[in-house]
Amino acid sequence: MQLPSLNVVLQVAMVGLLTGGVYALMAVGLTLIFGVMRVINIAHGAFLILSAYIAYWLFTLFGLEPVLSVVVSVPLLFVFGMFFQRFALSRIKNDLGLVVLLTFALALVLVGLMGTFWQTTGRSVSTWYVNEVLIIPVGATLKLRLPWVKIGGSVLAIVALGILWAHLKFSDMGRAIRATIQNPTAAQLVGVNIAQIQAFTFGIGLATVAAGGALFSVIWTFTPGSHDEWISKLLSIIVLGGMGSLPGALIAALIMGVAEGLAAVFMTSYISPIVFYLILFLTLILRPQGLLGSRLREG
Amino acid sequence: MTLILRRWWPLPALILLLIFPLVFAEPYYHLLGFNVFLFATMATGWNIMGGYAGYRSLGHSAFYGLGAYAAAIAANQLGWNPLISSPILALGVAVFAMLLGWAMLRATGAAFVIASIAMLLIVRLLANNFENITGGAPGLSLPIPPWPPMLSRLPFYYYMLGVLIVAIIVSGFLRRSRFGLGLLAIRDDEGKAEMVGVNTTLYKILAFGISAYFVALGGGVWAYAQTHISPPFAFGITVGVQLILYTMLGGSGTVWGPTLGAFILVPLSDLILFQFGGSPIHLAVLGAVMMAIILFMPRGIIPSIRGWQEARAAPRATHTGALSMEDLQRMQGGKTEGGSPSEAAAAEHERP
Repeated sequence: MQLPSLNVVLQVAMVGLLTGGVYALMAVGLTLIFGVMRVINIAHGAFLILSAYIAYWLFTLFGLEPVLSVVVSVPLLFVFGMFFQRFALSRIKNDLGLVVLLTFALALVLVGLMGTFWQTTGRSVSTWYVNEVLIIPVGATLKLRLPWVKIGGSVLAIVALGILWAHLKFSDMGRAIRATIQNPTAAQLVGVNIAQIQAFTFGIGLATVAAGGALFSVIWTFTPGSHDEWISKLLSIIVLGGMGSLPGALIAALIMGVAEGLAAVFMTSYISPIVFYLILFLTLILRPQGLLGSRLREG
Repeated sequence: MTLILRRWWPLPALILLLIFPLVFAEPYYHLLGFNVFLFATMATGWNIMGGYAGYRSLGHSAFYGLGAYAAAIAANQLGWNPLISSPILALGVAVFAMLLGWAMLRATGAAFVIASIAMLLIVRLLANNFENITGGAPGLSLPIPPWPPMLSRLPFYYYMLGVLIVAIIVSGFLRRSRFGLGLLAIRDDEGKAEMVGVNTTLYKILAFGISAYFVALGGGVWAYAQTHISPPFAFGITVGVQLILYTMLGGSGTVWGPTLGAFILVPLSDLILFQFGGSPIHLAVLGAVMMAIILFMPRGIIPSIRGWQEARAAPRATHTGALSMEDLQRMQGGKTEGGSPSEAAAAEHERP
């Protein structure tokens, strides 16, 4: 095997970092939901694909800029998430294994419906800027070629994560959410309405993945069936970062973005997703607490 | 056999199933019957891990696919007939599952569920990429069965019925053995089970192997009945989901629940498939049924009926397949192995 040159490695690592920024936005809702109510939302990948389809159809039918599709998808998924937590998940909250199966069943319903109505051909939003590349000369021989969609995507992802962070840090609701993550019983004792916070958190979690889906629709090609590939990527990110840890998810997303790119260079791109699955598998059995999180335990 | 003879109805039911394909002679009914038995067998296997021990794996399709590929490769390379080779090759898959289980079963609860999905995805990816062994994405073809085409699916029907009976006997035997009681104790409270002397690690690994065995065996026979297999079908996640669905509908943790669930839902999903064609809507229906069962009848049919009967017979605590006093006494009587209670209690303290 011939080793790739340093230039290639540097190029791939830079693009991987940008990709990781977008991953962070797609995964943050998953870790937030887990942090507040110990629920692993397997339907997260299906919601990602759903919001990508919303962006796709708004662009195809009305020519709406995909990033702006969030005005439709974010409120829609937010409200759905609140209702789903309030009227379905909360009914069986004592059996966490059952909760995982329920979110998995929800994913099946979503994927089945999307496949029925929107076929299973690969879709992608092709705006005028998808193939534009920023070229940064570094030294005499090396030129970094960075796709604008990934630069823009990671910038927008950072903006969205910043809004989320500020909300959690400074608003009353955010304080209540953080209190619930730290200690649900104590939070309830000091007057936090846990049921309300949980519904709200599920809504926020889906709202972030809706925002991620808008960026996703421009960068990647998707079919309804691609949700299982993506949910395992997102799960491996939040498991590596430490379930429930927001900074952990950000760091892990950047690591995974780079690792995936490098794997594609050193192995073939067909087999590179195995990096995600192996990291997921090995983290779960060797270091269940991940990089920054508390231990994933049976509640 | 005591299990079968303890009740009056399995014998007439068996006779009905034996003459069913002679009355309904169309090949469709033979295939339908085969599918019902196939999924009942595999769901019975899944139930040993997911129902008795409470470790609900979403990745059992990995063993289904491995069983299918092992049978296909043995048939093509060595000329082994899958009907004979599957029960033997499935042993290999079970050993592989136990090795995996040794690592995987360190994860509990939701972490185990995710790890099981990761396991499936890894195996599927490997099957897709090791083209010289697995045929890659296009898959593998198997030899056509040697019997006359007129017989069609009939041999598969009777073969799978036999396997199902074996699976139910094994499952019923396990349920009443000390081993099965240990698994139920793990499901109810793993820490306490360890404390009363259950070697939880060994029990879980064995249960994982046994449950993988029946799924792999089913996969091998399925491959032969299909005559062609490819990764998306052999390693599709829906097979594993169906096993969970059937088990939960009939009653997770009961001997007959998985079989009852398969007898109800396999013909029903066939009907749905028939109504909507091959469109992905059947995935949505599958998911919706699963959601309905989880939300409105999480205990399943058999425990619900049993609870209702007992509540009517006498107003005492309902028995839902959890440990009874009698079970506990039997366990106490046989308790010899494992650490002393104080050791186990100390170990329990170290848990985070």
